[in-house]
Amino acid sequence: MRILIVEDEPDLLRSLAQALREEGYAVDTANNGEDGLFNAEGCDYDAIVLDVMLPKMDGWEILKRLRKTKKTPVLMLTARDQSRDRVRGLDTGADDYVVKPFDLSELFARLRALIRRCANKTTNVIELGDVKIDTAARNVLHKEKPVELTAREYALVEFIALHRGEVVTRTQLYEHLFDENESSLSNLLDVHVSNVRKKLGAEFITTRRGHGYCIE
Amino acid sequence: MKIFKSIKWRLQIWYGLILVVMLAGFGFTAYQLERGRVFGRIDDELHRRVGVLANALRRPPPRGQIGNGQPFDRPPPGQFPDNGPLGQNPRPPREFHLPPEDAHFFDTNDPNEFYYSISAGYGKIVWHSDNDPNYDIKFLLAMSVNGSLKLTHREIVNVLPSGEAIRVGCSIKPELHELKITALKLASFGGIILFIGLAGGWWLVARAIKPVEDISATAVKISAGDLSQRINVAEAESELGKLASVLNSTFARLDAAFAQQKQFASDAAHELRTPVSVMLTQTQTALNRERSPAEYRETLEACQRAAQRMRKLIGTLLELARLDAGQEQMRQLKFDLSQTARSCVELVRPIADEHGIKIHCELSTVDCVGDSERLAQVITNLLTNAIQYNKPGGEIRIAAQSRDGTAILTLSDTGVGIPAEDLPHVFKRFYRGDKSRTGGNTGLGLAISKAIVEAHGGAIEVSSEEDAGATFTVRLPVTS
Repeated sequence: MRILIVEDEPDLLRSLAQALREEGYAVDTANNGEDGLFNAEGCDYDAIVLDVMLPKMDGWEILKRLRKTKKTPVLMLTARDQSRDRVRGLDTGADDYVVKPFDLSELFARLRALIRRCANKTTNVIELGDVKIDTAARNVLHKEKPVELTAREYALVEFIALHRGEVVTRTQLYEHLFDENESSLSNLLDVHVSNVRKKLGAEFITTRRGHGYCIE
Repeated sequence: MKIFKSIKWRLQIWYGLILVVMLAGFGFTAYQLERGRVFGRIDDELHRRVGVLANALRRPPPRGQIGNGQPFDRPPPGQFPDNGPLGQNPRPPREFHLPPEDAHFFDTNDPNEFYYSISAGYGKIVWHSDNDPNYDIKFLLAMSVNGSLKLTHREIVNVLPSGEAIRVGCSIKPELHELKITALKLASFGGIILFIGLAGGWWLVARAIKPVEDISATAVKISAGDLSQRINVAEAESELGKLASVLNSTFARLDAAFAQQKQFASDAAHELRTPVSVMLTQTQTALNRERSPAEYRETLEACQRAAQRMRKLIGTLLELARLDAGQEQMRQLKFDLSQTARSCVELVRPIADEHGIKIHCELSTVDCVGDSERLAQVITNLLTNAIQYNKPGGEIRIAAQSRDGTAILTLSDTGVGIPAEDLPHVFKRFYRGDKSRTGGNTGLGLAISKAIVEAHGGAIEVSSEEDAGATFTVRLPVTS
């Protein structure tokens, strides 16, 4: 899962990014409106955390422009908690709204819900034959036994599982699992895929040569 | 009683009382006039008949005008307290005949017509007409009679110089009846007028009180917290219309002041949200798992920065609140404004040098009275703004001079300037040209500067052209 954070307060931006990375997300950051919009338009994020008050271009403007081209779920982050501000945010195309100061756990839960809704899932649990994925607890059961996965491996499993039945290209996987700071070592993805197959069974992820990966 | 506290009722009661007094006065006068007219007519008739009788007695008429006695009223016969026969055998009456040409003055058979008696000294009646009901009473003249007696006859007694007394009287029953009807008519007429008057008065009072009731209804709504209510001013020129306009403008100012306070409180809360979110996110992230000492240090430093920002904001807010409440007393000491400006320039020069900005001073001695420390705060604030919004390698010009009893301090920079749409708002609280929260600005610096300058009785203004820098002008009165 790859997330963009647009926030101008450096300390807040840094700790948010750190916390989300530790949750297993790939995180990109922008500290002003123009950069934020540039990033948001240039990449398919799974979700965007967007502050309202930003230098150069405010959150409303970014949202308005972004909605012309992309449907990326957006979570607005703002200090304004009057209902007319919330209404305005939701009407402009925001998918959810968190008022500062917030609890990290609430923000995470809202982000998970946002990503889940976007993938048309209604619960946190995805069942794929023997494999059961709990996206809230971030753990995976194989034949009712918990499986130890690294954060990156879990992200890979979750992303392919959310796109069940579709072919997920390697480029897509790179975009969603790695942030802009990580050099895309092409065999890193293969390593993760092979590790997952070892833990969950070889037939869990099928390879479509020349296209990508898929879960039937 | 509630009724007596209502202006409407009090007005109505006073009005009713005045109306009653006036109607009663009018009615009484009218009644008295009518009564005078009726009795005057009877009295004329009585006098005339006295003259006729005197002529008949072949005596000279009474000296002076006809009749020297005053007419008086008498109760019906038999009702005198000591009524009774004279107790003396009257002498056989002397033959008395009315001359035939005068007979029509007395119809002696009709008890309601005029009657007469003639006595010859000492009250002895020598002749009386047949219809005289009172011929046998003791007292010919008026006497003090018991007031409860109903007077039904009017008589006149004239004593002739020769000693005979002529008494002429008549029944006044029809006249009394007529007067009674007149009185009833007057009373009912007065009653109708009183009723119409009271009804009209009530309508007038209600009409006059209506705007007051409107005003009080609106005031009640406003005191209940709805400050957007206004009194409907229909007649702006009337006394109450003017009052309503004055009240409306007062309400409008109250409303604006309340809105400003609300906005200020919400802005202040809003400003505190960001540092609080920083602290929350930082600490929650750090506590998620074991961290290295360096990471903990980083977290603590971020928290410290956030806390310092909050401290600065709280201090500024308190200062503004004190300035607003007028609690901040400005010292009234003599000082040289240019000296103060110079020390401020020295204070910020290291920061200016860091940004490669030159500061030019054109400071001539200006003696001012006020709080030099607080004004130094204003100048420092303007200088830091000028540095912050300047271009690298830019310039700042600061000048102080005295003109027409006003100390003028101007400060211009060569920075990015202020867009025209922001210009009217720069002194507003929490107003920032760009909407970001960065740079450690509270957004209150210019608002505080304005409050301090105004507390000195001065004014601060700004002019700017985009990309050509901004000029701030501070005017202070020079009081000697």
